[in-house]
Amino acid sequence: MQIRLADAPFDPQRAEADFVAGRTDMGALVSFVGLCRATNDGDAVQELHIDHYPGFTDKEITRLAQDVAARFDCPDMLVIHRVGAIAPGEAIVLVAALSPHRAKAFDAVRVLMDYLKTDAPLWKKETGASGTRWIEPRAEDRVRRAAAEGSVT
Amino acid sequence: MVKLVFLGKFRALAREDADIVLPPGVRTLVDLKDWIARSDPPLGNAMAATPVQCVVNQSVVRDLSWPIQEQDEIAFLPPMSGG
Repeated sequence: MQIRLADAPFDPQRAEADFVAGRTDMGALVSFVGLCRATNDGDAVQELHIDHYPGFTDKEITRLAQDVAARFDCPDMLVIHRVGAIAPGEAIVLVAALSPHRAKAFDAVRVLMDYLKTDAPLWKKETGASGTRWIEPRAEDRVRRAAAEGSVT
Repeated sequence: MVKLVFLGKFRALAREDADIVLPPGVRTLVDLKDWIARSDPPLGNAMAATPVQCVVNQSVVRDLSWPIQEQDEIAFLPPMSGG
């Protein structure tokens, strides 16, 4: 289990390559990269800022990843999440799962992303032309997270 | 002394984390939230308008009758929006 909070841009492809290096026992690597968009709800985004609680945020993301890895039998998962200031086009989050077979790796990445949206102690603030606003959790994220509790086998 | 930590939009209102001497009569997390509401109404209003999670010494505490101890680090978390 590899969990990292990054306060500077990172290269998701390189992180993924490092994660899988030397693994000859795994048949599937599935990954997801979330990117910072230049627009949100029609408004231009100049900068995204993610607040976190040092120590607690790391601990909670580790706990979520361990739960998901155990549930989907994934021997290893990787999470890199940006904190601080993020520019449009930069990667916000990378979630990757290694597994002997693909089905559980796909499920593990999707479900862990759903949890990160609603349960990871992170708070997004957008700065755009009309000022700064804190991003509230989306209802659709809560619906997905609730569905993730029990829908996948 | 106890350390107060405010996250997300609460941090923006509280400005800085604060080490405070526990005010007289403040024994539990409920007491502390009431005291914050009295001493900093804009922050208190923001905390009243949304679900708030309390984290004491880096562990989630759901029962707000939790007794505060000297040296505790007490954090107030608004709803999360990561990923």
